[in-house]
Amino acid sequence: MSRYEVNSLLYRLKKDPEFRARFVADPSAALAGADLSEAERAAFVARDMRRINELGGYLHLVMSIPGMAAH
Amino acid sequence: MGRIVFGGAMSHVLDPDYYDRACGAVGRRMVEEAMAEIAQMGERFSATRPDALVVVADDHLNAFSFNAVPAMCVRIGRSVQRMSQDHAEAFDKVLDHMPLTYPLHEDLANAILEQGLQSGFDLALSWEAPVDHAFLSPVNTMHGPRPIPPLVPIWINCFVAPQPTARRCFALGQHIARVVARSPWKVGIIATGGLSHFPELSLPRVGETDTVFDRRLIHWMERGEHEPLLELTGDELHKSGSHEFLNWMVLLGAVSPARADVRYFGELPRINLAAVEWSLA
Repeated sequence: MSRYEVNSLLYRLKKDPEFRARFVADPSAALAGADLSEAERAAFVARDMRRINELGGYLHLVMSIPGMAAH
Repeated sequence: MGRIVFGGAMSHVLDPDYYDRACGAVGRRMVEEAMAEIAQMGERFSATRPDALVVVADDHLNAFSFNAVPAMCVRIGRSVQRMSQDHAEAFDKVLDHMPLTYPLHEDLANAILEQGLQSGFDLALSWEAPVDHAFLSPVNTMHGPRPIPPLVPIWINCFVAPQPTARRCFALGQHIARVVARSPWKVGIIATGGLSHFPELSLPRVGETDTVFDRRLIHWMERGEHEPLLELTGDELHKSGSHEFLNWMVLLGAVSPARADVRYFGELPRINLAAVEWSLA
């Protein structure tokens, strides 16, 4: 589990609107260069915040990414 | 000689709309009750004609992620900015209508930093980090339309393991009290966050609290018995959703052995809302 990669991606999705737009348009392409396990990549592509949280994504990030926040 | 003229601690998402969405009408009603108490605490604080307000709070992975996560950090400089967030969601939305810039008490911040380094407290410093709702929601609720005195924001790493210990946070508060005592200023100190919510930072457990744990904390604070609180472990704080109580530990160190007066305690499914004030007469 790469806690840093998961969380730096969440942080970028929250704080970088341009990256967020690319991710929304094509998640797999936006994540192409990211150092993620297969499970992590699948969770992001599915925008499954519960799974991302289980995989080490910080709660306050998964609850506050514009347009994708779990409530 | 300077002194601490006010001590308070309170929950830090003070937003009726947020709790209406999260918990329905009862959420709105209870946070409005808590906010009314916090506004009165702010009036008592303002009546002391303070020179500065130290605000001990945590970052929600907004200011420091992920190039460095300081265990304890003092904000220095002349002013601090409100965090900016496009299309803010959830607890970030509470910031939307707040002022953008706040004055800092540069001399007190530097004294806490420099005297800390001289006496074994290697605090981190920041000139640039913005502050999020953890700082600004309580400060604005306390002051309403009144001027806000110069702030000294201090971050405690409550969420990114490994966190500082409860005992070390208490010792930081003792350090702050010594610095204030040697200064010429009248200083208020507040700690924000809590009480119990978001156990284990687990999304499926959002909506659970540990009221038994909170009542133990309150019992000790009301009696001014801080020794048991020094023994709190990171594991206990994580499991009970009391991560932000580390901020309160700093405050306790600054005001110990004063006793707490609970102004508000309200149980919601999502969080136990609290507002507490210390008698410093």
